[in-house]
Amino acid sequence: MLNETGRPSKCVRCEIVPNFLLPQEQMDLLLEKLNSKYKVYGPVRKGVEYAFGPVTTAKDLCLDYTTTILPPKKFFTPPRETIFKFHGDKIIGVEEIIPEEKQILLGIHACDMASFNFLDRVFLGFRSDPRYLKRRNNFLIFALTCKEVLDTCFCQSMGTGPVVPTGYDVLITDIGGKYLLETATSEGEQLLKPLGLQEAGVEDLEAKRGCLENLKGRFKKSVDRARIVDLAFNSQEHPVWKKYGSICLACGQCAMVCPTCFCFDVRDSVDLSLESGERYREWDVCLLKEFAEVALGGNFRSSRDARLRQFICHNLSYGVMQYNLMKCVGCGRCIRACPVHIDITEIARELKEGSI
Amino acid sequence: MKDPYTRDLAEILEVRVETANTKTFRLRFLDEERQRNFSFTPGQFIVISIPGVGEAMFSISSSTSNRQDFSTTIRRVGRVTGMIHKCGVGDKILVGGPYGSGWPMGQLEGKDVLIVTGGIGLPSPRPVITYIGEHRDDFGFLEILYGTRTPEESIFAWEFEAWRKMRNTRLALTVDYVPEGVEWNHNVGVVTTLFREMVTKPRNAVALICGPEVMMHFVVLELMNKGFHEDQLYLSLERRMRCGIAQCGHCQLGPKFVCKDGPVFKYSEIKNLPDCGI
Repeated sequence: MLNETGRPSKCVRCEIVPNFLLPQEQMDLLLEKLNSKYKVYGPVRKGVEYAFGPVTTAKDLCLDYTTTILPPKKFFTPPRETIFKFHGDKIIGVEEIIPEEKQILLGIHACDMASFNFLDRVFLGFRSDPRYLKRRNNFLIFALTCKEVLDTCFCQSMGTGPVVPTGYDVLITDIGGKYLLETATSEGEQLLKPLGLQEAGVEDLEAKRGCLENLKGRFKKSVDRARIVDLAFNSQEHPVWKKYGSICLACGQCAMVCPTCFCFDVRDSVDLSLESGERYREWDVCLLKEFAEVALGGNFRSSRDARLRQFICHNLSYGVMQYNLMKCVGCGRCIRACPVHIDITEIARELKEGSI
Repeated sequence: MKDPYTRDLAEILEVRVETANTKTFRLRFLDEERQRNFSFTPGQFIVISIPGVGEAMFSISSSTSNRQDFSTTIRRVGRVTGMIHKCGVGDKILVGGPYGSGWPMGQLEGKDVLIVTGGIGLPSPRPVITYIGEHRDDFGFLEILYGTRTPEESIFAWEFEAWRKMRNTRLALTVDYVPEGVEWNHNVGVVTTLFREMVTKPRNAVALICGPEVMMHFVVLELMNKGFHEDQLYLSLERRMRCGIAQCGHCQLGPKFVCKDGPVFKYSEIKNLPDCGI
């Protein structure tokens, strides 16, 4: 549970919590148990990709997934979300709109776990958004150690992976034929304890360490995290923006699939009676031309170069100044989504090389 | 926990027609406690919201010492402002705020204050003018330079005489052009042409600037030429805003959120930021 300021409402490591082993063929047992009390979401197949969706059986659940199309931010700040409803003069507020429903988000990789820290600072840092807080606290989180490194992954260089440090209730690691389930909160422990699972030993933690070591050597992409914050901040006149701005389609997919992009637009809709309706917010992205438009046609970022620069620099630089946390978590989704193959790590490299 | 996205009902007490497309709305929260607790700094802004239409941000244009009600001055430019303009006395609208940082009132005490503003930029520094008027001995010379496109577009023109009569105060007006048949006894030219006759000297002065970005660009340039230091220049910026609490992301200016860190910035804070045209 987080409090209004985004900090855990109680210490999560006050007591020593045990770790368990789950034989792979018993995943259904765990899911059945979880589904009896919670709505469970996890990685499921969607065409040739993966997406976070409802999971009831082990057959649906793809714990060997690589990455999902949309990041898990959709659970905490949905693509379209009601702010309030109105009927005549009556305003129906958030408390009545978001159900109190215990849910589990299962199979979250290190990069996406890190994205939650960033989103917490956005939505609970300066002012607390009760929608985000309520949705966030409705979820228990089962993190998952990655099994694979994609060509587009660079979490290691961003300091966000492949190790999942904190933020989960349970951490799942496939250590070959069985899952190591490490609990970090009493909620996590209470869920697993009744299953009568074998407790994990030192050798199982050792096996996990081996898996992580194996991952660490396989990253193909990286960003020089120590230098990029200043380099990107001072890059206004750098030719890289013209170079990539000229091929950018300004489609905004990069920001839509970004796990830490939080921008939204606020709109109203009314029903046919013109008496009732809702005010809602909807994901918006800085790549779109209207994003920085103001009254009478003014636009502070009318060129694609400027909009691409905003997206990249927010990720690699401004985020650190705003929240003391790098916005980019190195998930690589923007690289995969870009129809013209613009690569944030490549831009970072060019900014660095152009600065020497 | 109070939901920062809720708005509170306020009643329109008075509508003053400033120009053909601009009105000042005097408002009071229906909830007495909300009204009692509503205090603001000159330069802060509020959101006005009409369910089913939308909401937008506007500077508070009334005196900070008046706790009975508050005013905002709105030019009709689009859907939301068009709907607000259709509202009259007794109508109820939703209001949120105040938001943002205001003009640096603490920095102004004992100093000469130069206000350079254009068009619909005047409502933001207007509470500074009334505040100085109410605490005249705490401040040095007050000089207000105000430019509009035509004489008919001046807002708060009904108050100019009172400003001129304030002790130790000078008001200078300019317009870009004078339409045929309109009487105009003041300067013609962009607002920077008023600098020729400007009385304020940079020593011990602070300049407050609010207007279109291109105007502010040239005002800053000319004031620096006249010897103002960049730390003496404060600007109120315009950006698209949807929330006022640094969450919707639209108003970002490099690492700054204009709604939270601004809208008033010292020139030195923003001069090197990307997408800043000043």
